[in-house]
Amino acid sequence: MSLERKKMILGPISPAAPGTLYQQIVDGLKREVSEGRLKPGSSLPSFRQLAEDLLVSVITVKRAYEELEREGIIYRRQGLGTFVAEQGHDRSREAKLNAAQTLLASGVREAAEAGLKPAEILELMREILKENKSYDQRD
Amino acid sequence: MTNAIEIRKLLKKYPRFLLGPVDLTVPSGAIYGLIGPNGAGKTTALDLILGLGNNDGGEIRVLGKDHRTEAVAIKQQTAYVSPELNFGLWGKVGSAIRFVRGFFPDWDEAYCTRLQKDFHLSPGDRMATLSFGAKTKLSLLLALSRRPKVLILDEPTTGLDAVAKQQVFTELLKMVENGDRTVLISSHGLGDIERFADHLGIIKHGRVLLEGRTDEIVDRFRLAEFFLPNGGRPGNIKGFTPLRQDADRWRGLVDQQQGAVEALQSAGVQQLTLTPLTLEDLFVALVKEEE
Repeated sequence: MSLERKKMILGPISPAAPGTLYQQIVDGLKREVSEGRLKPGSSLPSFRQLAEDLLVSVITVKRAYEELEREGIIYRRQGLGTFVAEQGHDRSREAKLNAAQTLLASGVREAAEAGLKPAEILELMREILKENKSYDQRD
Repeated sequence: MTNAIEIRKLLKKYPRFLLGPVDLTVPSGAIYGLIGPNGAGKTTALDLILGLGNNDGGEIRVLGKDHRTEAVAIKQQTAYVSPELNFGLWGKVGSAIRFVRGFFPDWDEAYCTRLQKDFHLSPGDRMATLSFGAKTKLSLLLALSRRPKVLILDEPTTGLDAVAKQQVFTELLKMVENGDRTVLISSHGLGDIERFADHLGIIKHGRVLLEGRTDEIVDRFRLAEFFLPNGGRPGNIKGFTPLRQDADRWRGLVDQQQGAVEALQSAGVQQLTLTPLTLEDLFVALVKEEE
């Protein structure tokens, strides 16, 4: 098996992963931007090139780019290409925070439905943080 | 030009089969998936686009040209990969390449060489020893090397292994990379079509059931499940097609564009859940619908 040495601008996407392929591309690019691997001003491949690279339809990538553009994370310049916006980092961090909030809220709801009291939910949260050592040590 | 292929009110009558009237629009730069159950009329439609046989009504325009009066101009820019792979005549891969190359001034020899390498085909390979998959790849190579503006493929991935199939779609995506070339593909591989096709046409019994952007078509429908107590029936709700029932528990296909979800709710259904479908699930539900 030969190792492919190709430019990788985002993590793998797969029909087996949660979310539609288009949503996975949106989330994947946001992750790259919010974690600083894609810097403001850096250029992104055209949607046809990225489609070829990810092996998905052109329309899937186009839709993902359109959504990222609406959210102000990337911008397009006619004839020049697509770039990461100056405020892309903050915007994608904001988007990540919103997603985290939604997920935590749904976790709290599940816990409450299972009969946990607020103090117990907090305790559970602490345990989860402890299990995820990499996150625990970040603060 | 915005559409590579425009089919309007196309009609073809056979003693035991009627195609049409069919309207299909294949936008330029798209990979367009034409899908339908066996015998739906896919191959008939593709044949008519290619000028194989005469239609009994309607019109076909390829790259803005009328498919009858400008057939030669269309054929110069259109390539076809047929499911029938009879290469025996040429003996060796190299002879087939030389033969086909002679007809097309735009033949891209560098691309042809690259494809031979990628597809593991050599000029010296004997046709008799080629696997089915290798013949499909040869057929694709002969079509792609012409650098056609429009490529039409009828069931190109049947019988291909997963690696070969991915190679085929990689080349198709490369082909449309500049946005000025178009691919029309008929296939039963619905997982591939959902992933690679920008636009879709679904045909059945010679008629178009649905056409549009793949993501929009798939997202438009949901599998609904609900309870309808006291022996109630969902009745004639527009856009709702019942698929299963067990006492007061119902399951069916809803077309959200037709307001079926709201209609079900006002019909008093309980515990309504909506599940997204894959193209394959949707296809099965749609085809089942009329049977």
